[in-house]
Amino acid sequence: MSSISHYLNRFKASLHIDQTIRDGVAQELCAHLEDKTQELEEKGLSREEASKIAVQSLGSPEFIAEQIYETHAQGSWKEALLSASPHLLVALLFTSYYWQNMVYPSIILALAVGIAVYGWHRGKPIWLFPWLGYYLLPVVVSGILLLSLPEGWGWIAALIYIPAALFVFVHIMRQTARRDWLYASLMLAPMLVTFAWFSSLGRGNELLASDWAARLQTNALWIVVSFVALAAATIAFIRLKQRRLKIVSLLIPPLVVLFAVVAASGDNICYWSWLLLLFSLSAFAIPLWMQARAYE
Amino acid sequence: MNYGRELLKGNTDSLLLCLISRQPTYGYQIVKELQKRSNGYFQFKEGTLYPALHRLERDNLITGKWQILPNGQQRRYYYITENGQQVLAKRLATWQDFSTAVKAVIQAETT
Repeated sequence: MSSISHYLNRFKASLHIDQTIRDGVAQELCAHLEDKTQELEEKGLSREEASKIAVQSLGSPEFIAEQIYETHAQGSWKEALLSASPHLLVALLFTSYYWQNMVYPSIILALAVGIAVYGWHRGKPIWLFPWLGYYLLPVVVSGILLLSLPEGWGWIAALIYIPAALFVFVHIMRQTARRDWLYASLMLAPMLVTFAWFSSLGRGNELLASDWAARLQTNALWIVVSFVALAAATIAFIRLKQRRLKIVSLLIPPLVVLFAVVAASGDNICYWSWLLLLFSLSAFAIPLWMQARAYE
Repeated sequence: MNYGRELLKGNTDSLLLCLISRQPTYGYQIVKELQKRSNGYFQFKEGTLYPALHRLERDNLITGKWQILPNGQQRRYYYITENGQQVLAKRLATWQDFSTAVKAVIQAETT
């Protein structure tokens, strides 16, 4: 592989922005390197020497990628508010008894599905990913609820449903992470917070205790606070320019909620809830961990 | 920190706008032109050029278009926008005032 190709590959691997913009900048850098190489060749250097010097004079590809990222990574206020709005809608559900009336959660779910499908087929803009997280929530929850069906029916249904649901989940995760690792975490943050609260509603081996609705209402204020914090984290994520700060803004609120709820719920968390939490925590943290490794 | 480098860093956008306003141009040509016009004084760090150009484009001060050269190669030419021309005119006026004031102070010190 030539010095120029190697340089451009490093540049592209470090730049997590829209593919069209990334390829355009890479093409510009390629043209620059070709011009410089040609000029040095005319001065008598070999092609190999000339391209090495050209690459050196352009500087670190990772540094250029970081600078370009900061130019393009800051979303507008409109995008930030649109991204935060599903979290705010869920928070609104718990400000009163709206969550007990199935009409309101159904409207939010229908809205999430509609917006997620629309955004997915319209070039996957940044505001899509939080909505996509709510779209995936019922896909995962349905699989878990199937397990609580009586006798062997649950297992039979789960054996058919869970592979199909996992296929959808993994496909969406892969497509999202291909665009940017951090978008996968942005998408899964609401899932982590929702499952944290969901896990607090069980007792012993029961996924949902008989008094789950009363317990949910008792915690309504803290649920509102969690989703408002998630909305604030999402706005910060969209508006911040530096990738490191984006990671921090995205990581802290969901993890604080998770640990606070788990610490408060203690022994009430059943086996299935632990499984759910572990699954969502891994899915949320792995993309961030992968990104953090890139800085080492 | 090198004072000259800091001065260049603070005025990179104005220098780029100024060059692009004279004639539409592309990245490598900008580097060469800056070196030529400044008699080699501005040794522009080449890698910092593209982020600066994209920042100016994001702020709608310049716009980039791919063009095919006579030899068949493609280059992204940058054009100054109307907004860019207004910003450049303001910056040049400010720079002239600043430069005149600095000169006046320095000359008073040396005489």
